[in-house]
Amino acid sequence: MSDNAESPTETQKDDPSIQHAATEQTGASDEKKKIDVLLKAVGDAPIMKTKKWSVERGRTVQSLAQFISRFLKLEASEQLFIYVNQSFAPSPDQEVGVLFECFGSDGKLVLHYCKSQAWG
Amino acid sequence: MMAAERNPVSCYLDERTFRLCCQLFLQHSETIKDGWSWEQIKGTDEGFMKKTLLIPVKSSVLHEQPESSVQDEDMVTDNIQANVEDETAGVQAVCEIHAVLRYEYHVLYSFSYQIPVLYFRASALDGQPLSLEEVWRNVHLNYRQRLQQGPWDTLTQQEHPLLGQPFFMLHPCRTEEFMKPALDLAQAENKRVNYIVTWLSVVGPVIRLDVPLSYSTEVSAPD
Repeated sequence: MSDNAESPTETQKDDPSIQHAATEQTGASDEKKKIDVLLKAVGDAPIMKTKKWSVERGRTVQSLAQFISRFLKLEASEQLFIYVNQSFAPSPDQEVGVLFECFGSDGKLVLHYCKSQAWG
Repeated sequence: MMAAERNPVSCYLDERTFRLCCQLFLQHSETIKDGWSWEQIKGTDEGFMKKTLLIPVKSSVLHEQPESSVQDEDMVTDNIQANVEDETAGVQAVCEIHAVLRYEYHVLYSFSYQIPVLYFRASALDGQPLSLEEVWRNVHLNYRQRLQQGPWDTLTQQEHPLLGQPFFMLHPCRTEEFMKPALDLAQAENKRVNYIVTWLSVVGPVIRLDVPLSYSTEVSAPD
């Protein structure tokens, strides 16, 4: 398995609520609805070529995890774990907007991710 | 205790540290009324953390229905209605929540694994215990697909080591795989973590036990 993630699959096009973060400032109304997320790989998790994403506030951790898993082409037997504040796993039902309010700094939310082979 | 240099972080927990982590965890639970308590076994110095939850579930959890893989389910949580897209039939079915289950969670220390283990039992409100299959159907969707890959070594029925009653247990043998990254990360930042907070935040949601975010910032590591 390579360390560098491939380009996004079709899921990214189907998923307008998760987009590449623009380098320029986006419109004011857009900015409020989305937050910037910076994804960092931990351990031997594959590194995403695109690390910075704009995500709708209402998006859940589970939904983001699914997106990352598809982006990284994880197998069905592999579980993705996401951590906030380095060492805390937010509930899959948690909205990223709430995480941003609690743990965001410098205008972005840093999330670490790793993968595990099989549960249990 | 951890040196500033990069020593390998141990994913194991000694019993004393387990108790200290639980104590700090419980203090915060008191503060936010999160419902956890410490249960001591009479005449011993063994004990465990315990919490009971009432969980609303969709009707499909309780009844025999073919498993449909859900592509993008909006989160149910406490919503009254859930829209579930049946991928195979292309039909949208509305499942109403009409049942509430009682889940009782116990956090125990495992001497043989040297890590905490999550035990739980589940029943309907009338006391009727859930079968293993019913419990599986209530595993959080985020984990269900992978759990289905190897269920026999993940969620099992076990006799509670301290109470001797039948419980379910999340098998601890892969704890290192999700604890190590978190512990390494914290060490890289020269932070110490409360093992129980980190561990429970990962395993709890698998079986519907969420750990509020405030634990992440308000509970310190033991000295």
